Amino acid sequence: MKDIARQQMSIKVESMDMLNAQIQMEGKASASYLAMASWCDQRGYARSADLLYRQSAEEREHMMKIFKFVNDCGGNALSPEIKNINHDFSSLEEVFETALSQEIEVTKSINNIVATARKNNDFGVENFLQWFVTEQLEEEKTMRDILDLFDLMGRDGIALKLIDERIPAK
Amino acid sequence: MFPMERIHSSRYYTFYQSDTERCFYIDFGHKLVRFTFCELLSLRQKVWAIDIESHFDDEVNPHGLEILSLCNKEHLFILNTLEVLDLKDLLTGAFFMLDIAAQHPVLASKA
Ligand SMILES: [Fe+2]
Ligand SMILES: [Fe+2]
Repeated sequence: MKDIARQQMSIKVESMDMLNAQIQMEGKASASYLAMASWCDQRGYARSADLLYRQSAEEREHMMKIFKFVNDCGGNALSPEIKNINHDFSSLEEVFETALSQEIEVTKSINNIVATARKNNDFGVENFLQWFVTEQLEEEKTMRDILDLFDLMGRDGIALKLIDERIPAK
Repeated sequence: MFPMERIHSSRYYTFYQSDTERCFYIDFGHKLVRFTFCELLSLRQKVWAIDIESHFDDEVNPHGLEILSLCNKEHLFILNTLEVLDLKDLLTGAFFMLDIAAQHPVLASKA
């Protein structure tokens, strides 16, 4: 019997399923950052909004990177259906807290795929995801640094304006 | 019939590979359907996406039926709960035999 299926796909189906779930997660993160950007934009937090628009674009790039990888490996990448995006925040701090917890969820999910790929000897997938492992550490740090500003500068009107001015511009 | 190798059978269905055509066949009992590899992946994703719990909810899915369109809409199937579960078993076993699944079928079907 010829290895017809194996010749067409170089990753395990379990990896493909998990990567499709990750595509969904990155797509949702992109949409979710867009909602946060909108909240900030409307309230005059211009630099926060800029950062969040950029984050949204970055998450879409992450999504596309995985999407292409799945198809390049002979798998079937699925375009995600994205719903239930939260648009309601009670403060600027809550926006960044939400961003950090979203990043932590993504980190956990990436780590879980890496661990499973390793267990399944799917080393190409493990290797591909190394870039994401490093990227997640950076993304978490970005949000954590911003949240530190609230402890440093306070949470009243003028402090919020000053915090917004300190949001890193790329 | 052209040379085909039986890869795996479940209670209702049988999965074949044709080396000469470089494709796969599933015998659904009343119909033999040809699948290219990507059509097969897409079938698996469709079957996996079925919410089997809704089959036990009279309001969501009162008849416990699933409509499945396959292979670029060439085929249409109406499957009941047992047939859906059996098709899952078939595909789990077949993918394992094809050497592109990591999990042993017995373990996978419990997941
Ligand atoms: Fe991401
Ligand atoms: Fe991120």
